[in-house]
Amino acid sequence: MILPRFDVLVPDTVDEACTMLANHAAEGVRLLAGGTDLLVDLRRPIIPQHVPRCDGCSSRSEGNVRSTIEYTPSDSDPLMASEGSLRAALEDPRYASPAYLVSLHKLDQLKGIERLQDGGLRIGALTTISEIERSREVRDGWTALAEGADNLGSPLVRNRGTLGGNIANARPAADMAVSTIALNGRLTLHGPSGARTISAKDFPRGPGISAIEPDEILTDVYYPPRLPHSGSAYYKLANRKALEISTVGVAVWLALEEPDGPVKDVQVTLGAVGPTPILAESVKETLVGNVPDEQILQKAARAAAGDARPIDDHRGSAWYRVQMVELLTLRLLKTVLMRARGNR
Amino acid sequence: MKKIISLTVNGVTSELAVEPRRTLLELLREDLGLTGTKKGCGIGDCGSCTVLLNGVATFSCLTLAIQADGCSVETVEGLAKDGKLNHLQQAFVDQGAIQCGFCTPGMLMTATELLRSNPHPSEQDIRRAISGNLCRCTGYQKIVEAIQAASEETP
Amino acid sequence: MSKYRILNTRAPRVDAVDKVTGKALYTDDLKRPTMLTGAILHSPVAHARILNIDTSRAERLPGVKAVVTHREAGTTPYGVSPARYDETIFCHDKVRYVGDEIVAVAAVDLDTALEAVSLIKVDFEELPTILDGRAAMDDGQPQLHETYKNNVCAEVHWHFGDIEDGRKDSYLMRTDHLTSKMQDAAFMEPQSVLAEMDSHGNLTMWSSTQAPHYVQRTLAMALGLPLHKVRVIKPAVGGGFGPKASCSTAELATCLLALKTGQPVKLTFDREQVFLHSRARHQFFHTMTTGVKKDGRLTFLEHRCILDGGAYASFGIATIYYSGSLLGGPYRLKNMKYDGYRVVTNKPACGAQRGHGAVIARALFEVQLDRIAEELGMDPIELRLKNVMEAGETTCNELFVSSFGMREALEAVRDSAAWKRKRSSGGKTRRDGKGIGAACGFFVSGAGYPIYRSRTYHCTVITKVDEVGGGVTVSSGAADIGQGSDTVLAMITAEELGLSLDDVRVVSGDSSLSVDLGAYSSRTTLMTGHACREAARDVKRQILEAVAGRLERPPETLDLRDGQLVSSAGEIDFSELRKEYLQEHKGFTDLPEGPHLTFGEASRIAFLERGSIVGTGKYRPPPLGGSFKGATVGTSPAFGCSAQIAEVSVDLETGEITVENITGAHDCGFAINRTQVEGQMQGSMMMGMGEALMEQIIYDNKGRIVNANLAEYKIPTALDMPHLDAIIVESNEPHGPYGAKEVGEGAIMPVIPAILNALYDATGIRIDELPVTPERLIATMQANRGKRS
Repeated sequence: MILPRFDVLVPDTVDEACTMLANHAAEGVRLLAGGTDLLVDLRRPIIPQHVPRCDGCSSRSEGNVRSTIEYTPSDSDPLMASEGSLRAALEDPRYASPAYLVSLHKLDQLKGIERLQDGGLRIGALTTISEIERSREVRDGWTALAEGADNLGSPLVRNRGTLGGNIANARPAADMAVSTIALNGRLTLHGPSGARTISAKDFPRGPGISAIEPDEILTDVYYPPRLPHSGSAYYKLANRKALEISTVGVAVWLALEEPDGPVKDVQVTLGAVGPTPILAESVKETLVGNVPDEQILQKAARAAAGDARPIDDHRGSAWYRVQMVELLTLRLLKTVLMRARGNR
Repeated sequence: MKKIISLTVNGVTSELAVEPRRTLLELLREDLGLTGTKKGCGIGDCGSCTVLLNGVATFSCLTLAIQADGCSVETVEGLAKDGKLNHLQQAFVDQGAIQCGFCTPGMLMTATELLRSNPHPSEQDIRRAISGNLCRCTGYQKIVEAIQAASEETP
Repeated sequence: MSKYRILNTRAPRVDAVDKVTGKALYTDDLKRPTMLTGAILHSPVAHARILNIDTSRAERLPGVKAVVTHREAGTTPYGVSPARYDETIFCHDKVRYVGDEIVAVAAVDLDTALEAVSLIKVDFEELPTILDGRAAMDDGQPQLHETYKNNVCAEVHWHFGDIEDGRKDSYLMRTDHLTSKMQDAAFMEPQSVLAEMDSHGNLTMWSSTQAPHYVQRTLAMALGLPLHKVRVIKPAVGGGFGPKASCSTAELATCLLALKTGQPVKLTFDREQVFLHSRARHQFFHTMTTGVKKDGRLTFLEHRCILDGGAYASFGIATIYYSGSLLGGPYRLKNMKYDGYRVVTNKPACGAQRGHGAVIARALFEVQLDRIAEELGMDPIELRLKNVMEAGETTCNELFVSSFGMREALEAVRDSAAWKRKRSSGGKTRRDGKGIGAACGFFVSGAGYPIYRSRTYHCTVITKVDEVGGGVTVSSGAADIGQGSDTVLAMITAEELGLSLDDVRVVSGDSSLSVDLGAYSSRTTLMTGHACREAARDVKRQILEAVAGRLERPPETLDLRDGQLVSSAGEIDFSELRKEYLQEHKGFTDLPEGPHLTFGEASRIAFLERGSIVGTGKYRPPPLGGSFKGATVGTSPAFGCSAQIAEVSVDLETGEITVENITGAHDCGFAINRTQVEGQMQGSMMMGMGEALMEQIIYDNKGRIVNANLAEYKIPTALDMPHLDAIIVESNEPHGPYGAKEVGEGAIMPVIPAILNALYDATGIRIDELPVTPERLIATMQANRGKRS
């Protein structure tokens, strides 16, 4: 596969970057951070319908005991997403073959993990996944994010991939997006007219589509301070132990009123089981205000499974994924409760 | 329209005119004639193209040459000094960690980054560190043993 | 105390230093002046008539030097086996799979070449496709080739002994099935070709190939060139495993482009094209019925299979034979019936991949043996030990095993710590998520017959001594593709001549150096090893005769050892010879002065007496096998064998499988290089494990590969692979040089069934479809529960 022709612009400031995005929108312009997604997506495959990363592609398969020799997708092009908007985006040459890439590699101000006065964390969008993986602070206080980083791709991907890139790509299986939503992360988007913030859960709109405007850049992510008697975790289910995109990803964050008390708040986010990461609201309804015993936890896990909207694709069937959502949610709720109660 | 970039490869600084879409891998192999870094897939799935970019193990196939402007790049050709293998390379030779050799340059660069930051890694640390470098010949066993042997020699 | 100085040691590979310094040159690393870049137009549809090919816009693109189609290439049929030449260089009337090659372009750079490809317009009339191998033979299905009625490319029907007698003799019989998927060899180096014609009409092609000789022949035949004007050179190769053992369209097209343009042309596959080309593991559908007596001895095997081999024959006619023939051993089996069908479908063609057609068949048979053992209440290893053949026996399909360490290999794994733990727990399956399983296998040590019918020697080796004395060069067409054959040839030569490895140069992989059928069917150590030893001994004889003549001693009393000439008959006065040598080397500082003539002196003297000292060796197996149809496939001068155990742990709720350890014992006859033998065993374990648990080519309903990349086609990473224990068994093969025979492919045979048997132990679940992904495991578990309740 070869890359299409484009010019690369290298801004020195965020404002400059936004201006570049605005100026070149008509000819097509995209942001280049780590490049591990963009530079793969831009390549023209030999067989036009071959897509290297089949995220959110729709198909039917027999699943269950006997697999098909070839999986039998629906009548429409099986390698396109079920959401019309991604198909339109991929067919738009400004998206698939932009005239410009804006490379952010000089923007050091967007790198780094900073502990704030309020006890929260601000992580620059260009912080690499490896840096997050290595951070003691993140692992202790925002464990789901560290565990999401542990399992993303491979060490080589983590050395280049960035937090902002993983979130901004708005893929349903994105490990960092899933854990960020569970941790109540808040994104700062910077545009020509200034900055605005948006909650991480409101950011993804469809596979590859987000709330970001064409002339905006995601500059950092804010994670609220760790609450007492709280904990978080992330689990990635896949076929092999590295280099995988999730079959199912689950992130759980939970805070108790007191160690033996009822649940104060909980967020369970599901990855790879819908067109976007899914915040399982039913779990909140089931758990908040209740003391988490085995029965309630199982009910919550079933509720999470009910919120999942997976499709069949070559990584797994909807049937299997729904079961795994329930199973993994239950397991992670128990793990997180132990962490919240102080037993690590 | 080509851009002028400057980068230091294995200690030698050069200025090059590159097309914006040229990858670091293409620059190394075709412009600088350093064919030791290999192209196994071109899209970041196999690790054969691993180099050290400012000391960090990186896919050169997914790094634009422009992104390496002003950076230091280390490739497999830079490991041996004065014609003598370094102890990691020697360990690969001694332990039989090489068969077809295509994954070897990438493995060496990833292992170099590992041993610099973690001079005495456990077996699990090693397997994790090289989990992005695919090998089809060795089953990884002797590669892991070679990296362990090299780490034992590190003071 | 070993009787050898270098053989059986862990000598470092002769190419190791080049590979760790980046100096080793693979085909894509090569450049020639005025080199052009090639690109191919692949069919985007799986089955269609070609109505028109319009290359005019491509031809007009600045920078394009040649555009070639079937019009320039001709339509001479070619393939792998002369009995099934069903391919042409480019499609002319039909395309038969997504990826089938239609046009090739040479241009000044890759960008221009790809742009030219995008400007070519092909009009297709799409035809219905057949994608399901099980249905391909049914009446009324779309036919791919006129010559393959009902899409059957090859079929085999064998009956050895009488299975009805076997049935009558059986205390227990069971029928089992196993289905696999098409898989890929996933070598790290994509195919790459560089072709150049010189001013005398000699074509040279460098290529990432396993078989320069077969490729040379196909190039000459398909391009209409005289054989002696075609030269194929194999540079360093980044893995082969089978798909690179035959001539490809990429090679033919690149040569054609070089001929047309008069300039060198390079074409390197993208990873996606590696998948499109395939020529890798077939898809297998096996059904076996096996009977045993009450004491566990086998009575009969009835075996039926369908192999889906994609759109062309490739190696398929051999594959379908191997599927059946290699079940004749390693156990005593008098009665065996086999019906095999190799069909074509509208998918990339499959060929030979490590273990060839025998891998999935072996997997089912070994799993079936375990199921039989359970029903009999016998330990599965004891059941096998009851049935293993011994050296000197012949299978019912006339394969003679001259050496056979099967018993020793089984005992080695049985006596390993892990199996003892299992046995102490009463030998019942555990079903607690932890399990252990065992299996065996065997394989040929080089195919008994070449792919084309001929009396040709399978290999020759030419060893030449430096005229200046001191070193030798071993020239061979043999292909080192990573398995280490160059090192084997260097070690054999060094051993015979008493030299250090530093003084032996190996030049190989070039069709003009000698004949060698290449690296396939695990032949190189045994066959080329024989020829190499013969050449070394020839050289030694000539040197010793020359020196003996000067010394007036019988040559039988002289020997070459540790770089010196030694005598078994008392001291020799060689002062005259040394004086002559020193006189010739006035001014040199590093002069011989010890109590023995050095090899340097002896070899120099031999030149002075006789001229250039050249030794040759050759090898051709004796006629092997029976006289029934297809008897040749599966024959070999020797057979390697393997036993392995695998330990797994399973998350019984998610289905995630972790292989904790694989311990294998392989009888390689004699390990020329112990490290290399272990390396081949470990690599086989990795490939088998991947095929068991995660590897599958996934197609959509239009015949397109959904996962044509190494992210979605999953091979094990370093985190997936466990510790691998490799135990070498040496049964001393009488037909092998120094007793050596194969290891390259035999060691993959037990892996899949050992893992499947371990999974059964861990879960109580029998799975009859590969790969066993977590989802498949859970789905099977739940379906079984549903059946029981």
